Amino acid sequence: MSEFKRQHPVAAISRLLAVIRQNFVTLLILLFIGGTGSGGEYFWYALIIGLVTAFFAGIFGWFRFTYRVIDGELQIKKGILRRSNLYLSRERIQVIDITEGLLQRMFGLVKVEVKTAGSGTESATISAITREEAEQLRLELRKRRSVETEDNKEKEQEEREIEYESWNISKKDLVYAAITSGNFGLIASILGAISGQMDQFVNEENLNYLYSKLPGFNNISLVIAVILFIIVVSWLLSFLGVIFKYSDFKVEKHEKELLVSSGLIERKRITIPFDRIQAVRYVEGVLRQPFGYGMLYVESAGFEQNSKERSIVLVPYLAAEELTGFLNQFLDEFDEPEYDTFPPQKSFMRYIRRPNYLLFLVLLPGAWLFWSYGWTLIFLTPLTVALGWLRYKDAALGIGESLLRMRYRVLARTTALVRKKRIQHIESSCNPFQRRKNIEHLKVMAASGSDGIAFTINDLRSEDCDKTYKWLIGTHENSESEQTALPGNPEAAGR
Amino acid sequence: MPLTRIHDNAVKAWTLAASLYGLSWFIPTIIYLIAVTNLKAETGEAIFQNNNWWLFGGIFLITFLFYVATVFFFPRIRWRRWRYEVSEKEIDLLRGIIIKKRTLVPINRVQHVDTIQGPIDKRYKISSVAISTAATTHEIPALDDETADDLRNKISSLVQKVKEDV
Repeated sequence: MSEFKRQHPVAAISRLLAVIRQNFVTLLILLFIGGTGSGGEYFWYALIIGLVTAFFAGIFGWFRFTYRVIDGELQIKKGILRRSNLYLSRERIQVIDITEGLLQRMFGLVKVEVKTAGSGTESATISAITREEAEQLRLELRKRRSVETEDNKEKEQEEREIEYESWNISKKDLVYAAITSGNFGLIASILGAISGQMDQFVNEENLNYLYSKLPGFNNISLVIAVILFIIVVSWLLSFLGVIFKYSDFKVEKHEKELLVSSGLIERKRITIPFDRIQAVRYVEGVLRQPFGYGMLYVESAGFEQNSKERSIVLVPYLAAEELTGFLNQFLDEFDEPEYDTFPPQKSFMRYIRRPNYLLFLVLLPGAWLFWSYGWTLIFLTPLTVALGWLRYKDAALGIGESLLRMRYRVLARTTALVRKKRIQHIESSCNPFQRRKNIEHLKVMAASGSDGIAFTINDLRSEDCDKTYKWLIGTHENSESEQTALPGNPEAAGR
Repeated sequence: MPLTRIHDNAVKAWTLAASLYGLSWFIPTIIYLIAVTNLKAETGEAIFQNNNWWLFGGIFLITFLFYVATVFFFPRIRWRRWRYEVSEKEIDLLRGIIIKKRTLVPINRVQHVDTIQGPIDKRYKISSVAISTAATTHEIPALDDETADDLRNKISSLVQKVKEDV
């Protein structure tokens, strides 16, 4: 693959579709506003001109986009007016995504995204090439530097074909994962978006009309009905989302990487080299924990603009008791150090109080201001107290030889495993109240997507935070002498 | 615990910066004053009529106290609380006016180091050193130019010795 090549022409259409999809909401709004008023015909002309421009831009973009792999470096030349050359060497590659979208599937093609670390470098996307080419590209980019002779190359190729271990999601697990996927964040955002648009539809006239149609409804029951409706709809959406996304979910362990493939309509295949894994995260959602299940994520530093999707799902539905077995099988480097550090007794009341601050200082006054029955939120107090108690019970830290294991709860319970040499920084913070009690929050940062992911345990003893610091920089008894020896003596610093 | 202080000029630079940027806190009170005093041409009434000078006084006083605090007290406290240390294995930062934060960055996680100097910094001959990892950027503010350059070079040479990949 040393000649510059073009993609399959379908790339031009996929680019046009991408433009439409990106501007879908804008288009929809414009259709509503522009299509009906006076001068509507000008709007249609503008729309058609826009689409035609996008179409030709797609074709020219395809024409000007060429790529090749040479010496383990992916080189891409692209751009219609502003030409850009993108060179990615294989040492810098974090993750390789191969996606078969609906359009690509019709032509037996795939999209390849090669992701590097950091926000400065963009990920390289080749949007339509044949599956064989993509596979060849992937192997080329994943080959070891040292192996260059033909002999070894073939051997390597063979090695690569051997599949070491694999794991498939069962139909039952998939359905359970979908049922328990109720995404509260999504529900909240839909509620928020709707309440923002509410003013247009909720006026006296419409309300009176509704009341006359639906006898027995008053203000409150209407509000509750609307909220229930939204919850059911968003639950259905997230149910379908999970089914589409994680159908045929498969994890394969190869010699140097994990291969994760999944998806019903859009099939995605992610290559994660073991040495690019920053951290592992097991999240037991509120709906899943009672059944003893959770979701396993892998963090990688591959550039991802959408911060919600930066973590890679390794197992969508995994029993807590199978976690250790799974880690042993697929991620050798991740063992689970025993929990040996917990928040002290003196932090207990702080844990209990913290969720209540939110309730009493933000939610309650807010609700009361807008709704005369807002004070009824006070009955949530047992729940917030229980949440605080659970958070206290769940908070734990385990320091292993080369691994940190952290467990904490916000709403869902998270267990994070971070390798020592992948910790970007550790931060402890303490306010005057904590200082009096000699306790601190401990935050451990790992790289994820284009920025970091933080794991935080609240109100640990200051000594325990210090212990973690010392662990991170190795044994550190004679740090003072090292520091003084440093500036004048480069040999000492080099060791 | 880190021991090295940042440059004294930080206090002057921060005071100047806060006294300029802090003026924006007064925008609400100024808008209020305009709304109360400006008369509509056709009716001769103020744009905003339910004026309450007590309310105005209260808001103004709070804004003013906040301004005084950020200009005259916070820079000094912030300076006093700032400590850093760069050793061969780690970068150790300690800071915070009310909430004390300590950050430890292992040297081999550093991606790149920059020195930054804004217009106000330039006047007082100080620069900041920004240390980027794959996750975040940490900044040591207000070192005199020479120290900042030395520190930047020192960190980048330390990084080269221990460089591992992300």
